[in-house]
Amino acid sequence: MARSGDRGDLLAAGLRPRPRRQPSALEISEDAACVARARVGDRAAFGQLYEQYARMVHGVLLAKVPVGDVDDLVQDVFIRALRRLSTLRENASFGAWLAAIARNVAHDYHRRSAPVEPLPDDASEQEISCGTPGENQDCPSAEILQALMSLSESYRETLILRLVEGMTGPEIAARTGMTHGSVRVNLCRGMEQLRAKLSPGPSRVEPEAEKS
Amino acid sequence: MMDTRKSRNPYMTPLENDAYLWDRSGEPDPEIQHLETLLGKFRHDSPTPVFPQIVPERPSAVFPRRLRLFAALATAAVGLAALVVTFLPFRTKPTSSRVAGWDVSDVQGTPRIGRKTISGKQGVSHLGIGQMLETDSQSRANLQAEDTGKIEVDPGTRLRLLSMDSGSKRIALDRGTIHAFIWAPPGQFVVDTPSAVTVDLGCAYTLRVDDSGAGLVRTSLGWVGFKLSGHESFIPAGAACATRPKVGPGTPYFEDSSPQFRSALARFDFEDTTPQQRASDVTIILREARNRDALTLWHLLARVDDQQRVLVYDRLSRFVPPPAAVTKEGILRLDQPMLDLWWNELGFDDISVWRHWERSWAGTATQVREK
Repeated sequence: MARSGDRGDLLAAGLRPRPRRQPSALEISEDAACVARARVGDRAAFGQLYEQYARMVHGVLLAKVPVGDVDDLVQDVFIRALRRLSTLRENASFGAWLAAIARNVAHDYHRRSAPVEPLPDDASEQEISCGTPGENQDCPSAEILQALMSLSESYRETLILRLVEGMTGPEIAARTGMTHGSVRVNLCRGMEQLRAKLSPGPSRVEPEAEKS
Repeated sequence: MMDTRKSRNPYMTPLENDAYLWDRSGEPDPEIQHLETLLGKFRHDSPTPVFPQIVPERPSAVFPRRLRLFAALATAAVGLAALVVTFLPFRTKPTSSRVAGWDVSDVQGTPRIGRKTISGKQGVSHLGIGQMLETDSQSRANLQAEDTGKIEVDPGTRLRLLSMDSGSKRIALDRGTIHAFIWAPPGQFVVDTPSAVTVDLGCAYTLRVDDSGAGLVRTSLGWVGFKLSGHESFIPAGAACATRPKVGPGTPYFEDSSPQFRSALARFDFEDTTPQQRASDVTIILREARNRDALTLWHLLARVDDQQRVLVYDRLSRFVPPPAAVTKEGILRLDQPMLDLWWNELGFDDISVWRHWERSWAGTATQVREK
């Protein structure tokens, strides 16, 4: 997916991503109120939900499908959610429900793409493009994302939400319905694994080297 | 390639060290900031699209909400009474529920619902509670329920729909293969097999049961719980777990583990071997285990004898050190809260999801139904 626009340029110039506030309990209950309004046909309310949850959905998908297809699938997830909104039992569970839809859309994507191939656990097999064709040789972003994609699924998804989408741990927990403990462990252990993969030289841990 | 080696405070716990990673509090971590900057180019930045019009649930101008419900119920009751009075004399056989159930579509060949053969030309059929769907060697079908998920049914499968309540959707898989993609909340979708109960914990998985009742679950997304009479296994994405009648779930393993590891595990789980052979199998498993096989080792803690448990503890500790609140003595006496705390360190999903499900089902799901 090409992301060579203004935002990418600013980030490449060393400007830190804008810090984001963590969602408060009030904001979460406001989301539930938005869900309630969206259920009765309030499109603006659903638009608000999109703004609040699009990064989470994008991150969940990015952990599972090629980067170039993620934006389209984000739309698919929200359209599917919109159609099924009446089946959601608890408004407060919207985030976890939406994340489940996103994971299912990713699974459908793989089934459509390669009907006889099992879904690879290691998503690092995906080709990750940095931007324009031929740009990959000197693209640390793509290289790091590739390393990220080689982590196990739960680490991969949580770390992508943190490092790519810029969400904080509490925000990830609030948006996905995971517990704080689970998110924190995934971040911590995932980061350890990512460091090992990105470390140059012999310190890199290979699967065979893990055996004693 | 970036150099990620940096000095980290050795007097702080990993979690304290990673405060910036957690919530951007504390001292900014240059390594994390660098990663954020590089990876931020892949971040979502699309504007909010224009969504199609949602068909609203129109509020009634005549009745307030509660009265509206009462009026609807009263109307339905009167209508139902009229139908019963009209058609009761002509009733010849009981009808199955057409309300709760799964839609049956994408039919190939000639599967049967009960005694009735269905085909693709009929469009969407319905599998109601208490009904059985059976595919022969040439047939397949898809089941879908809007608030639950989708199940692909392979040839040679027989399944029955047991319940479709708001909090519990349950089927029995007598034999054959299903591929389940579930979007119902974790713990709601349950599959009984002749040798274990499979509980969806937010995932996609394939479940196969052969004619002897032996089963195999392979998880492709999320995780699955397998349970029989207190014997439980958790199977995350990429892992598999076998189950046998009268034995229950075996020990889960990642499918990329070594052949020696898997062979020893299969013997340990299901073969009636001597204590010496079991000890030998545990030795092979521990020798062949890699970091990610912590999954298998954690499950083995409760399945080996006291002497072997020390060995499993030591090996697992090398891969994933137990958290501060977990002691060796506690693990050796199989203290469940400590085992759960250690599980949460392994990097899979939080075990509290499963414990919550166990409490809410209070044993009803652990009974394997008769074929």
